[in-house]
Amino acid sequence: MTETFEIRGKGVVGGRAEGEVLIADTTLSFWGEVDAVTGRVIAVGHPLQGQSLAGRILIIRSTKGSSATPMMLRLAALEGKAPAALVNIEVDSLAALGCIVNGIPMLAGLEENPFEKIRTGDHAVVDADQGILRVTRRRTPR
Amino acid sequence: MELTPEQQAVLEGARGPYLAKLMQWLVAWGEVMGARRLVPVDNTHALLPVPNLMARGASRQTVEQYVAELREACSYRTAPGCYCTVHTAFVTLDPLDVPENDPEQVRLQKELAELAAQAGFIPTFTCAPYLVGNVPLKGEICAWTESSAVVYANSILGARTVRHGNESAIAASLLGWVPEFGVMLDENRKGTLRVEVTADLDSTTDWGALGYFAGKLAGLGIPVFHGVRRPTQDEAKQLCAALATTGGVSMCHIVGVTPEAPTLEAAFHGRVPEDFVVFDDQALRETYASLRNHTGDEIDSVILGCPHASIREIAEIAALLRGKRVAPGVRLWVDAARATKASADAMGYTRIIEEAGGRILCDTCPTNMRIPARRIVTHGFKQAHYARGMTGAEVIVAETGPCIRAAVAGRWLGDD
Repeated sequence: MTETFEIRGKGVVGGRAEGEVLIADTTLSFWGEVDAVTGRVIAVGHPLQGQSLAGRILIIRSTKGSSATPMMLRLAALEGKAPAALVNIEVDSLAALGCIVNGIPMLAGLEENPFEKIRTGDHAVVDADQGILRVTRRRTPR
Repeated sequence: MELTPEQQAVLEGARGPYLAKLMQWLVAWGEVMGARRLVPVDNTHALLPVPNLMARGASRQTVEQYVAELREACSYRTAPGCYCTVHTAFVTLDPLDVPENDPEQVRLQKELAELAAQAGFIPTFTCAPYLVGNVPLKGEICAWTESSAVVYANSILGARTVRHGNESAIAASLLGWVPEFGVMLDENRKGTLRVEVTADLDSTTDWGALGYFAGKLAGLGIPVFHGVRRPTQDEAKQLCAALATTGGVSMCHIVGVTPEAPTLEAAFHGRVPEDFVVFDDQALRETYASLRNHTGDEIDSVILGCPHASIREIAEIAALLRGKRVAPGVRLWVDAARATKASADAMGYTRIIEEAGGRILCDTCPTNMRIPARRIVTHGFKQAHYARGMTGAEVIVAETGPCIRAAVAGRWLGDD
């Protein structure tokens, strides 16, 4: 039996994407903390260290740090290693810009705390046009 | 967002499809960030790097595509009257005997620099444009990349820039407009986090520790520092860089220093929050300790000048190095803008540093070049934070004096 639920939010950058969730209540700089070519988080001691962002629904508090975040998203997108969608609690201007330029859907302003309900490995659909995050639980919690 | 007829025409293609695309980006970005209009931009700082090193192992296609996008940008002219400077590259344009500084990439970067110059971008190649002539006045409308420089422009100079990415900074440079949102508006420059500082801040690196501590707590907000003396330019540079490393901070207030924060009340636009965090001597020590992950004392790299060193920092480094030798096998690099190095040359500092076995590295930094290293000592919290993942090195963050002592000894000798 699979459990599916929806969280409403606000579309920041329109579009629809789905994929496996990568989630942590953390912040991330794409320059300096992500390798655009492997798509992996390289920041030492980061909660997502070693994880691949490629094709994932990346749910974090916000981006932070370097202003080269959109540039690194561009390079990751050219390499096919960008996240499928970004879901943030707060909107950093750099995440919004990177998503606009690369056509990556982005959602924010969720009505529920995603960090309590969603786990890495869950499947999610982001509909940023409708402002909906639809999550299907992975059968066995890790 | 309401556009003027001229802006609307550009959006609809009156100046060609490329500028229409840039306009679409600016309008879309402005709309999601809550802007109501595009305003004329006075000053920009954009990136024009050949991306090979940052995207190490990227396909030829990716690199060519990215460079083609920069070439296209440089085939236009920057907006009349807009002061446009260029952020760091990922190679140094000087000869440098490390494999990372691949001659083919240097050639390509030089070509881009020439195209940029023809377009009207001044090829400063620095992360600290305010050290080499791009010093916006209070209220000046800027579109700056470089997260540390954004904080410096807003907080120290009283200029106004949101955190720009390369795409928006290039668009602003060529179109001459920028969406007005965030800290560009008075009401969004209000402090959000009160930080009472009781620690003794004795060095530029101590100010970096304060920023590293507060950035984590501030997130995308605006920290207000109370209880500190007026920092030097170099100290302010460290504070701003570290704030935008752990946080996504656009600006801070240093009470008594930030042009619009003569008092704590002014920093909070009236009501001072009762809650505050304290940065005391213990927090200072713990912040240093958080960026010392070394498992041994032998070092191979001492990296100074993050953000790019000022001429006064280079003078201090030269004074500490005079008559000494950097230990064999240790790389001592002082990263600086080319214009700053010209002053260092004239003052004899470059010769002293080179005679000691170090060098002044222009246009870039080892983190940008992703130079492999085993153990790095640095006086920059930003450098220390990112170098671990970017170069694979262990790091030790320390004041400049202990950094130089470590360089000479070839091993970390501690702070005293």
